Amino acid sequence: MPPLELLLQQTLNGVMLGMMYALVAVGFTLFFGVLDVIHFSHGDIFMLGAFAGLSALLALAAVGLRTPFVTLPLAFIAAMVVTGLVGVMAERVCVKPLARSAPLMTLLATLSLGLVLRESVLIFYPRGADPKPFPQLLPAGGFEVGGVAIRYENLAILGIGLAAMVAVDLIISRTKMGAAVRAVAQDPEAAQMMGVNLDRTVDATFFLGSALAAVAGMLSGFYYGEIHFIMGITGGVIGFSAAAIGGLGNVYGAMVGGLLFGLLQTTAAAFIPRGSEFRDVVAFAVVMLFLIFKPSGILGEKSVERV
Amino acid sequence: MSLLEVKGLTVRFGGLVALDRVDVAVDRGETLGVIGPNGSGKTTLFNALTGLYAAVSGEIKFLERSLSGLEAHTIARRGIARTFQSSRLCRELSVFDNILIGMHAHRRTGLLDSILRRGRLRSEMRQAVERAAHLLSLFNGELPGRGFERVGQLPQIDRRRVEICRALASRPRLLLLDEPSAGMNPEETAELMTDLQIVREEMPGLSVIIIEHDMFVIEGVSQRVVAFNYGRKIAEGSFAAVAAHDEVRAAYLGRESVRA
Amino acid sequence: MILVWLAEAALFVLIVAGILAERPLTLAAVALAIVIAGALLRLVTPLRSTLARAFGRHRTAALLGGAALALVLPVTLRSSPYWTFVATLALLYVTTGQGLNLQIGTAGVINLAGAAFAGLGGYSVGLLTVKTGWPPWLAAAVAPWVAVAVGTLLFVPILKTRGHYLALVTIAFVFIFNILMNNLEFTGGPQGIKNIPTLRLGGHAFTARLTLFGVDLPAHANFYYAALATAGLTTWILGRLHDSWLGLALNTLRDDEIAARCCGVSLTREKLIAFSIGNFFIGLGGALYAVMVGFVSPPDFDFGYSLIMLSVIIIGGVDSIGGVVLGACLLLPLPERFRFLHEYRLLLYGLVIVVMLLYRPRGLWPAGIRGYR
Repeated sequence: MPPLELLLQQTLNGVMLGMMYALVAVGFTLFFGVLDVIHFSHGDIFMLGAFAGLSALLALAAVGLRTPFVTLPLAFIAAMVVTGLVGVMAERVCVKPLARSAPLMTLLATLSLGLVLRESVLIFYPRGADPKPFPQLLPAGGFEVGGVAIRYENLAILGIGLAAMVAVDLIISRTKMGAAVRAVAQDPEAAQMMGVNLDRTVDATFFLGSALAAVAGMLSGFYYGEIHFIMGITGGVIGFSAAAIGGLGNVYGAMVGGLLFGLLQTTAAAFIPRGSEFRDVVAFAVVMLFLIFKPSGILGEKSVERV
Repeated sequence: MSLLEVKGLTVRFGGLVALDRVDVAVDRGETLGVIGPNGSGKTTLFNALTGLYAAVSGEIKFLERSLSGLEAHTIARRGIARTFQSSRLCRELSVFDNILIGMHAHRRTGLLDSILRRGRLRSEMRQAVERAAHLLSLFNGELPGRGFERVGQLPQIDRRRVEICRALASRPRLLLLDEPSAGMNPEETAELMTDLQIVREEMPGLSVIIIEHDMFVIEGVSQRVVAFNYGRKIAEGSFAAVAAHDEVRAAYLGRESVRA
Repeated sequence: MILVWLAEAALFVLIVAGILAERPLTLAAVALAIVIAGALLRLVTPLRSTLARAFGRHRTAALLGGAALALVLPVTLRSSPYWTFVATLALLYVTTGQGLNLQIGTAGVINLAGAAFAGLGGYSVGLLTVKTGWPPWLAAAVAPWVAVAVGTLLFVPILKTRGHYLALVTIAFVFIFNILMNNLEFTGGPQGIKNIPTLRLGGHAFTARLTLFGVDLPAHANFYYAALATAGLTTWILGRLHDSWLGLALNTLRDDEIAARCCGVSLTREKLIAFSIGNFFIGLGGALYAVMVGFVSPPDFDFGYSLIMLSVIIIGGVDSIGGVVLGACLLLPLPERFRFLHEYRLLLYGLVIVVMLLYRPRGLWPAGIRGYR
């Protein structure tokens, strides 16, 4: 039985990881809500966000800007915009056109799109096959509370993640676009009859979801210290599962699911021998078990088929 | 003994009571009409009978055996066949394929036969296709010739007929028809009524339950009618009796019409 | 009938020439010939319909002709052991592809863990031969059943869930498989299992050169013929299953599950059958690969290969028996031929799938209407 401090430490890690997963999961759940599709390349969008952020940071450093106060927000914004646009493009090219056909088609198409994104980064990013170190721009140092080391970096990650989630919540519940998204998620036809521009709402949803994934990607870079072109697969699988746990279409469920997943992963890694190697196995095994026994999620899925 | 006996059937979706202690019985060879406003539980009744929905309480007895808790495919094999409001056909498959699936439960050749004793499969399939063609020809002499076309290419009334043929292909004892005249104009509805007459002649012992909104059809084909509202059975009897029933009129036309 | 054979022969010549041509002049000539042939078929409708009718009427002759050409192929490629290997690989993808197609195309069961089931076949062969000393024929015969067993154990509870959940579960499974193979000691870790003994037929080892009717063929030709026999048998079996009650039931379950169930089709039973039969042939492909190459390692069976298997099916046409053959024969050799594309292979596969799904979702050789022949 690991000591309490280790447990608390892992809980902290779990919450941080959970935030990142939650941000990706929210994207999945929004897309499902709006178009009834599982956007399988969203995980690779998450990876793209990380690489976009890295490129922005490197570019800014090359121009001589190194102060984190300046470069961090700029990099985040750049990554969010670029990733958001790519997300919208993906939706226009490959998700919406197939949304009406058999779900298998969208699944295969988005899966393949993910492959394209992944391979593009591998091929076109300099030495894409290697993991890339992520600049440590978050404040260093930390303090101790009851034997648990809390780094400022951790707080920064938690803070940024939390801010992103709050922002999403505000957008969805307080803005006109957010209302449009909720309306389309409930009933696209009725929403259109109320004057909602379906195309624009779908575009906005994909932009938002992808931008969130970019934030998650950069946070992942800060957390692990490096990014790798294959990080999107695990991120995608876990993000989707988290969304599924929370009930597809349910934004708050996605957040809860993400946090749950993060906690699960870190505690399992602490308890299981050789836990860190098998960390991903544990995550995937949990995914499988969960989907086998409770696929409609803890908080319930959105739609029911009519007979 | 009735062919089908439903007692106290209750189906709930969360807090919504879709069927509320429903009692229905159908005799051999009888056609029962089911009417009621939208959402009154008619299709829910079909879904419960065919095992797609689980009942919270109540009993369903078919041929004196209970259907409770059975899977849809098991119930189908017992001799209940149905059509659907939205005509569930496989659009990309051929007309014959869509009918042959109705004979799935009665197939005699297995996997090994399909691979190694191909002759047996071929002859069984040939007979199946002939039977499908026969069923089609009852309704429209041109259809057998189009048997190997994709069913999505047929006009709607013919697609309905294919669906009915699929249901008949399994030689059921009880046929459930869910709003067969939905989306049809008066000419097509008249053709449908002829079709239903043909079905009665082709399979005399067959019991039918038909859900319909078109009262003309109900009156023309049913011997008995039940009316539903808000998940409860509110009237039962001949068409004339049910049509004149106060609660039925209230359900369709509003309270005011009854006071008049 | 002559027309059918002439057409097949012409195609054969073009393909072999395309593979073997080295000098720029010959290469250009072949490329031109292919383009002209393609254009003729596309634009001259009477030509296309005559050919289609001829092939339709003389199916047995077409099959025999195709088989004959397939048998002769290694002879024409004997100068290049590499291309014999590529051709064999394509045939292995036909085998696994037919299995996967039964699952995804016919039954609509989305299995993205194809690589894992192939890996189960391959690793079983490795473990049975190297660690337990079984003869390779026996190991290769038993290995596919391991794939079936694991598949059944894992997916019985899943079969009732909707498509995207199943897809996710299979993705999770292939990753678990990969990580386990990489980290467990008895599977050899990252090095995998080496020195898998080759097949032997009456004293003739499959790693030795093969002499057929006086023609000396590279060693890979042995495996080519083994793979050809397997692919042929697989296609024959699955073709017959597709054109039978099973294929019909699976198609109906795929297209409208509720209607199928109300016709007496047992969802669990039929999907499990399809899943198991599919896994058998996927595992078989993996098993043959193991004996052919002589070793198995984790990177041989990762998620990327699941996607390659998937693209084979989509290009040819989901649920199309002929499509799988076409898909494998197109997708495997092309990146090898155009070496400079090799690095972009997966990227291109991904793009091809997306393009196909948007514009030709039925594939290049769409599934036909069931005739129960």
